[in-house]
Amino acid sequence: MNILTIALRNARKKWVRTSLLLLVFSLGVVSIVALSFVSRVVGEGLEKKLVSFGANILVSPKSEKLTVSYGGFALGDMLFDVNYLDEADTVAKIDTIELRKNVSVIAPKLVVMDHVQGAAVAIVGVWFEQEKQLKGYWLVEQGAIPGETPEQAAARAAMAPEPEHEAAMPAALPQPPAKAEAKVAAHAPAGADGLLAGSAAASKLGLSVGSAVPLGQHTFVVAGILAPTGSEDDNVLLADMDALQRASGHPGKVNFVEVAALCSACPIDDIVAQLATVLPGTEIKTLRGIVEQRRVSVHFVKKLILSVSLVILLTGCSMVGISMLSAVNERKKEIGILRSLGFSRRSVFAIFCAEAAVVGLLAGVAGYVAGYFVSFRILAVLEVEGGGPLPFEPLHLVATALVLALLTSLASLFPAWKAASVEPSEALVTL
Amino acid sequence: MQDSMPGTKSETFALEAVNVGKSFTQDGLAAQALKGVSLRVGAGEFVSIVGRSGSGKSTLLSILSTLLKPDSGQLFYNGNDLAAASEAEINALRHGDFAVIFQFHYLLPYLTALENTLLPFMRGLKPVTRAQKTRGLQCLERVGLADKAHRLPGQLSGGEQQRVAIARALVKEARILFADEPTGSLDSVTGSTVMELLGQIHKDGLSVVMVTHNEEYAKLSDRMVRMEDGLIV
Repeated sequence: MNILTIALRNARKKWVRTSLLLLVFSLGVVSIVALSFVSRVVGEGLEKKLVSFGANILVSPKSEKLTVSYGGFALGDMLFDVNYLDEADTVAKIDTIELRKNVSVIAPKLVVMDHVQGAAVAIVGVWFEQEKQLKGYWLVEQGAIPGETPEQAAARAAMAPEPEHEAAMPAALPQPPAKAEAKVAAHAPAGADGLLAGSAAASKLGLSVGSAVPLGQHTFVVAGILAPTGSEDDNVLLADMDALQRASGHPGKVNFVEVAALCSACPIDDIVAQLATVLPGTEIKTLRGIVEQRRVSVHFVKKLILSVSLVILLTGCSMVGISMLSAVNERKKEIGILRSLGFSRRSVFAIFCAEAAVVGLLAGVAGYVAGYFVSFRILAVLEVEGGGPLPFEPLHLVATALVLALLTSLASLFPAWKAASVEPSEALVTL
Repeated sequence: MQDSMPGTKSETFALEAVNVGKSFTQDGLAAQALKGVSLRVGAGEFVSIVGRSGSGKSTLLSILSTLLKPDSGQLFYNGNDLAAASEAEINALRHGDFAVIFQFHYLLPYLTALENTLLPFMRGLKPVTRAQKTRGLQCLERVGLADKAHRLPGQLSGGEQQRVAIARALVKEARILFADEPTGSLDSVTGSTVMELLGQIHKDGLSVVMVTHNEEYAKLSDRMVRMEDGLIV
């Protein structure tokens, strides 16, 4: 038995009032915790989807380009000089930047122009492993990605996203065929000579799996045809980087390097600055649209949660304050007795603050636990795909309970001060 | 401390009000409740203050027990002027030497009889000790309520509740018990029981200053002080 007994017993005696306060605060905490978990999952999910749409930093050699137009008629860009980057050197330097951990994929590209059946087409040299990480939305309509075994192709097809879950894909993108429709050749041509044709390019050039595409002394074979993606990949042929470098006579050279940075939390500008430092002879462009879209999407959800949380907390705090104030008026005689027994103003103040803190503490614990489980239900209802299982963090539980106890104590400061100001004579003596 | 006399100290002391005045304002009109009253209470004395309603007796008791500050005059306790005492010193007096019981028991409804008795020891985070708990039980035994120590005030009669309030006053070994109409809300039989208890406590060595309008009860005291219109007559 000590001063806290008084606070606890009164809270128990006034169980209806205490329960109502607990309910309101717990509901507030449930909303905050659940929304926080949901925003985290949505944010992570969004990040993954956005990263899968491609790179957000472009490293290219400095070139002199002149835009020519006359009388409002655009004549195209005149390129005076085409520079190449040394692939090994560029990738090695990118690997050295301080924020390397925020870079998920480094994908060099070599673009070579070719004529197939009289039509001009671009063949883009890529490393297919990196490219698959960048283009998570790729679906192979016919054949397979060069270098893949039939088993790998089947596994990738099985892992491909369901069309109904592609809520985050831009509206302009055509819907890819369902994975069940994706055809994977049992024995697709594989290896360094394989080509992956974009859907529009294949259609325009009349290519199918097994078609030969000569380039200089080298002949590539179409290994697979992509389903429409709505991107530039539809109009090009993609070849193994090493094979294309050799066939085009540019061994070890690339035109540009795409870099995908994980950017919901990372400072994209810092990454660009660090790249500029290690690659002084290059031009580094940020694909702002994607970067900003990532930031805005994730931060919007977080700001919304913060605003809702603040409103809920303010409402709860007001309720605690009003309830405690009315309790002070009800308990004036009790306060008078305590003061007549030698309780200091500070002790009376502490009793009222402790009562409020107990409500906050219990609401924090109950609200966090309930919020954790409610978030699963919300995610299920919203059909949100998560960024991994939600971790139950005991430290967060303790922190939530302590913050709530502090908030409710702060909300009860004025009532507690009023209680501490009660004079025993005013409360007890009938003069 | 003797087992038979919980709540008393035998040292000598003196409480003295000198020319104390107090006025109140009600509805814009000032009313003088005390018009320069002097009273001395010695160790072991039983003083009763009688008078009609509005004569100023409760105001005087409130000033003597430090629950109210006088507008004028002085209040000495062992030679120290309490008007100049700090709030901490007043709190220490209320917690130590002075005990007050009222017409209404004012027990905390959510604490048991024993917990209400031990309330003076629950001022801080330090838990009530086993010795203090034993003392609380002795005080309840002293007022005849040992068997009802774990009952809530709502489960006790009016007389029993007043006796718990007396036990609460005894538990802290006070020197003076101030009783403001202690039988005012009780029937005559229960009132007599409470008065009998106060008499026994006084005989055990505790000083008692009691306000009452019942002259029969006042006759049980060593000295009766009569008040009229804010003055001792």
